[in-house]
Amino acid sequence: MTRQEIFEQLNDIFIDVLDLEEVELNAETSANDIEEWDSLSHIQLIVAIEKVFGIKFTSLEIMKWKNVGEMVCSIEEKLK
Amino acid sequence: MVVNSINFWVFFAVFLIPYFFLFRKMMHQNIWLLLASLFFYGWVDWKMVPLLFVVSAFYFFLGIKIEKSNQTSPKKASLFTILGIVAGVGVLFYFKYFNFFVGEFSGLFSAIGIHVNSSDMDIIMPIGVSFFTFKVMSYVIEIHRENIKPTRNPVVFAAYVAFFPTILSGPIDRPTTFLPQFNERRKLDFCNLSEGLKRILWGLFLKMCIADIISSWTDAVFSGYGHHNATTIIAAAVLYTLQLYTDFCGFSEMAIGVGRIMGFTVTENFCRPFFSQNIAEYWRRWHMSLTTWITDYVFMPLNVAFRDWGRNGIFLATLINMVIIGMWHGANWTFFWFGVYHGLMLILIILFEKQRKKMEKKYGLKKKESYIWFRRLLAFVLFAFGSMLFRSASVTDFIGMVKQVGQGFGPIYDEELPAIVVYVLPSVAVMLFREWVAEYKRDIHFFHSPNVYVRLASIALMISTIIYIGQLDGNSFIYFKF
Repeated sequence: MTRQEIFEQLNDIFIDVLDLEEVELNAETSANDIEEWDSLSHIQLIVAIEKVFGIKFTSLEIMKWKNVGEMVCSIEEKLK
Repeated sequence: MVVNSINFWVFFAVFLIPYFFLFRKMMHQNIWLLLASLFFYGWVDWKMVPLLFVVSAFYFFLGIKIEKSNQTSPKKASLFTILGIVAGVGVLFYFKYFNFFVGEFSGLFSAIGIHVNSSDMDIIMPIGVSFFTFKVMSYVIEIHRENIKPTRNPVVFAAYVAFFPTILSGPIDRPTTFLPQFNERRKLDFCNLSEGLKRILWGLFLKMCIADIISSWTDAVFSGYGHHNATTIIAAAVLYTLQLYTDFCGFSEMAIGVGRIMGFTVTENFCRPFFSQNIAEYWRRWHMSLTTWITDYVFMPLNVAFRDWGRNGIFLATLINMVIIGMWHGANWTFFWFGVYHGLMLILIILFEKQRKKMEKKYGLKKKESYIWFRRLLAFVLFAFGSMLFRSASVTDFIGMVKQVGQGFGPIYDEELPAIVVYVLPSVAVMLFREWVAEYKRDIHFFHSPNVYVRLASIALMISTIIYIGQLDGNSFIYFKF
């Protein structure tokens, strides 16, 4: 899966979980940019990402993310 | 030595002159700051200075170890981090909760053949221990998460831990934003001086013109609740909530102001909590340095760990999180139940969130001022009810107080009430007006008005109010005992 495809999948997950009309994620996007992205929806996002991509993150990986770019790096790493 | 005392200001003046004018090198300035911080802490509690020293040394070396292991052996790094957390919690537990547990569970210990006498081990809690242990634990966790590099300068690290404006009662500064501030020499700056003094002035006003005047009345009601009716109990719950806010926010404002004069940006601790529309928002605006700490290092890791349990996982994490926030305040069942109460409130908010949003959309309520103010009032009532539990000396007292409401309404307890009506109510009105302006009319300013006359008049009004009605021989700060 290419990085671009991961971003597209993530876009769909964000729209679905956060109940958004639309969203344009990029590597720099963080919780500060999306009002609906709070600590609780963050957990729902992680669960959805793990399910869609069929992967499992470690707690430390999750706690280290600062933006969507780092999230995508973790997904890429797991999909290798 | 409290911040609103003459002693403190003499100390601060003696500290500042060499800090800005004698020490031209950053390193010398940091050493001077460390010495002043140790002196300050020693003045309050000299027996505990060695503890501060040991804690600082331990976490300084642990930080370096964790960073090295992050590269070579992540498992080792995790173990070292766990050691740091266990040691921090251990220090807190030993000094803060040991007496409580021994006292509460001595019967249980006896049953299994261990006889302990809690009076033999009367451990004295070092002042500020809840604040500096949280600082050092966040330091090692952030290094483990690779958000910061450990400092190699023991003076800087010890000065971060012992930083005198915040060591007694917070705000709890994070190493990520605070440690880098030691890397530049601080200069006397008019902007910092002016802003710092304004924050101190506002803090003094909150503390001396509201909190300290209310306290004798609320103390009398809470300690003799059996003699009071519903009117007095409800008034006590409302006034105590105001007292708690103005006392702690007042201290935080002064700590931020003192830090600012020294050239440091101390983290904010309150953001107009009485404008919150539910309990969850209260916790985002109240004692923010504690709640964000707990969110980052307890709530999120728990949520991540429980993520496969769906909503139940979130509820469990929320409950544990709030009980920890409650118990952080001290070893008393009132704080435990205070945490449970707030945890349950947050769970209710999560449970009914979808229905609420649906209803707001359907009736177009979200931006309706009447609806917003109704929610604010409800949130305040719920928060004030929790504050009663927080203030009560024991759970039995709290239950007794609630039962007392059943006695019905009647004349309010009027001892010292005139002072509250004449001095406190106008001061609370000034406070709420300023906060309302900050919340709604962001282009109107008083202390920061572009008009010099408005600026000077509001500062002069504040100073004269403090001199005229301020409680000069006021109490210590509530949060010193946490």
